[in-house]
Amino acid sequence: MEKLTDRKRSEIKGRLEGIFGPENVTDKVHDLFPYSYDATECEPHMPDFVVLPEYVDQVVAVVKLASESGVPLVPYISGNNIGGLTIPERGGIVVDFSKRMNRILHVHESHMYAILEPGVTFGQLKKHLDDHHPGLRYSYPFAPPFSGAVGNAMLSGMNNMSCAHGSMGDWINGVEVVLHDGTVARVGSCFLGKEFRPDNWHSRYPMPDLLGMFVNWQGMTGIVTKCAVQLWPRRPIETAYVGIAYGFETTAELMRELGRAEVIDDISAVSVEVAKMSVGIPTPIKIPEEPDFALLVPVSALTRKHLEAKYEIIQDVFAKVNRKHGNKTFITKFDTFASLVGEGVRAFYDLPGVVTPLVEYSGLTWFGSYAPPEHLGTLFEKANAIFHKYNFPAFVYSKIMKSGHYGIFRSIIRYKKDSEEDRAHRAMEEFFDLGVEHGCIPYKAPVWMCERLKEHIDPNWLELFKRVKGLMDPKGILNPGRWGV
Amino acid sequence: MEFADISGLSQPSQEALKLVLDRCIKCNTCKYAYKEFTPTCPSGESFKFESYWASGRIRIARGLLTKRLEWTEDILHPIFACTTCGACKDSCQAPQKDRIVDIIEALREFAVKSVGAPARQARLDQLVVEHHNPYGNAHSDNADIRAKYHLKPTASVVYFIGCTSNYRQQRLRDATLSVLQKLGVDFTVVDERCCGSPLIRTGQLDLVPGLMRHNVGEIAKTGAKIVVTSCAGCYRTMKQDFAKYGVGIGVEVLHTTELINRELGKAGTKRLQQGGGAGATTVTYHDPCHLGHHIGLFEPPRDLLARIPGVELVEMPRNRTASWCCGAGGGVKIGYPDWALRVAGERVEEARRTGAGTLVSTCPFCKTNLSDANAQAGTGLDVVDLVELIDRAL
Repeated sequence: MEKLTDRKRSEIKGRLEGIFGPENVTDKVHDLFPYSYDATECEPHMPDFVVLPEYVDQVVAVVKLASESGVPLVPYISGNNIGGLTIPERGGIVVDFSKRMNRILHVHESHMYAILEPGVTFGQLKKHLDDHHPGLRYSYPFAPPFSGAVGNAMLSGMNNMSCAHGSMGDWINGVEVVLHDGTVARVGSCFLGKEFRPDNWHSRYPMPDLLGMFVNWQGMTGIVTKCAVQLWPRRPIETAYVGIAYGFETTAELMRELGRAEVIDDISAVSVEVAKMSVGIPTPIKIPEEPDFALLVPVSALTRKHLEAKYEIIQDVFAKVNRKHGNKTFITKFDTFASLVGEGVRAFYDLPGVVTPLVEYSGLTWFGSYAPPEHLGTLFEKANAIFHKYNFPAFVYSKIMKSGHYGIFRSIIRYKKDSEEDRAHRAMEEFFDLGVEHGCIPYKAPVWMCERLKEHIDPNWLELFKRVKGLMDPKGILNPGRWGV
Repeated sequence: MEFADISGLSQPSQEALKLVLDRCIKCNTCKYAYKEFTPTCPSGESFKFESYWASGRIRIARGLLTKRLEWTEDILHPIFACTTCGACKDSCQAPQKDRIVDIIEALREFAVKSVGAPARQARLDQLVVEHHNPYGNAHSDNADIRAKYHLKPTASVVYFIGCTSNYRQQRLRDATLSVLQKLGVDFTVVDERCCGSPLIRTGQLDLVPGLMRHNVGEIAKTGAKIVVTSCAGCYRTMKQDFAKYGVGIGVEVLHTTELINRELGKAGTKRLQQGGGAGATTVTYHDPCHLGHHIGLFEPPRDLLARIPGVELVEMPRNRTASWCCGAGGGVKIGYPDWALRVAGERVEEARRTGAGTLVSTCPFCKTNLSDANAQAGTGLDVVDLVELIDRAL
């Protein structure tokens, strides 16, 4: 977008104030500044305005205004995506949903879904369910509690039930979305009826899955104003086990085998250095005799016997891997592990919560990807070498998703923003190259990563992508600049 | 990268501001009570934009330090429209959590030194210069109180009255004096000046060391080993800020609730009367931020309430580390009086919904603002300080 003239800026501001009320519009530089960058090394860009919508009509009005004036719109909830996704690449209007458009509109007990406005956070949803629907649960990611639940679902985030149920993107039953010209469309089973009804958001299929035109598009094809997410029955017993493992391939094989056993809710592996970070060692190094990974394995059960049976199966998996690799894995109960390592590790289990190593410094960046499970061992080993090369403590985070159909591979760097950013970015570039070489697909990918990814993908996919984007956003107002388009 | 020159700021402010370069990813955890998931930030809840939450202020500080932001008149609003209640520090889980209020106060000193304090808050400094108190009342050396209560020049305890109690909430002051006498505490009062709290909270530090040294000198003359105050602001200042600004207070600092609990715990001490002596049966308790969020002193007031036979405490949903500010602190009562009342109004309504007949606090400034909001709302709640209840019950 060309820089706004003073006259144009003044005109747009007046119209925005008419839509949202003056107190919900700002163009003051100090108000805009906090929206101009995030925790990552992604290049900062200032928005021209920030607005705080409360109602769908206001979103429709601002989309129409943007469409008329060619001013970009950037949806924003918490800005916690670790991908620069809410940095206004080309300026424009940041639409901050988290402050006023954050209602939990409906929880359907029997169909087990919640209809959320875009500003709802995980902490808010957790409290609402605990207070009003104690028989239901949502799942929570490895993220602070006030991250956006809808944003995370729309970007296919993972969570603490991912081994059983996969990505949050798969759990969306439907959305209400404002298209580039202000049209409001409902996608999913909620398309039944002329008006919004809270009782028909139960499924996503079997109609053509138009949701795919919005999930993972980073706000480039429409602005979501309602989203129905699947909930799950809360089981009477929720607990966790902790494994430790020596050897990268041993760890990866253990994860794959645990996934295939189909008795766990989730499995996440972190470099052993991370456990040390959790108990307050800011830049830990691994001692050669120490294990390479710690694994957190949340498990839920209906009865004590159910749990015992699951634990027996889990122990059998560990035994099987040990027979093959020579006693390189160990399992214990989470409470035992916490008492040995320190209570700080509870943050990894007690979600939504703050995983303290992630908030240690002013910068946080990652190469986060969906990964082929069979390559995880190699990825762990080579990522470890990159961490050492750039002198950052190893922080690999990995999961097995949906029983092992795919995995998650993340290399995370915490850094000091004003002194370590260049080094962190150079390491990220190597992680990207490593990941793509081994079949990883970056998710919540920042602009620089998408640009590099283009060199590795089917050109016709890119052509199709551009055509869909052109169709959905002919004036280029919806979070422009993402994916370099 | 170019950095702003902050060498003219106080040493504590320089240290606090340097933290913003290396800390805070803006994870938003500061915005709501941790694990309670309830709103606790009056500024953010009122003004909404990111610049009005702790993490946004840290970003503003970083912008000013790295010269990406320039000083303007406008920028003073997010910097000063904050009660510095410290709820953010109780929610934050990052290493800088205990320094967030320090960072905001340092940012205010940076603002004052760069473009001056906002006009209303600047008045505090002028009033303290002229009258030794921020209310503009004629200074009292407290000789009249010493005479009335037959207090000697030396004693084991100094009751530091504080300006709000001495010039605005005299019932609270008189109740404290009465309780101390009823409990047989060997105490006196001194020729005190403003403790410095309103100036520290608004970044106006020039007078602060002098005020602290004066008060320390007056306390030392009495030979006391303990200084007790019923003002949460004075308590926080003497407990933490004196040392921060290099002035050793040299005595134990107690809030009245701590001292009264201690005295009532002694064998042979008279017992409190049924119902607080004045029919207050169901009460709710408001945690003053300077006692709670700032110091972590949550239980002594509750312990004291529990000592009053027949008084039932009904907690508000937001209590202790999740408590909601009264709206007066951080220079907000003078700087943004209407907003201060709105914040207090939310607290008064929360208190009303508990069904309690009495809203109890332990800070004269909280009492002032909650009373103002209560009068405006007409809830019928009785707003009292805990020491007043104790005085009735003794």
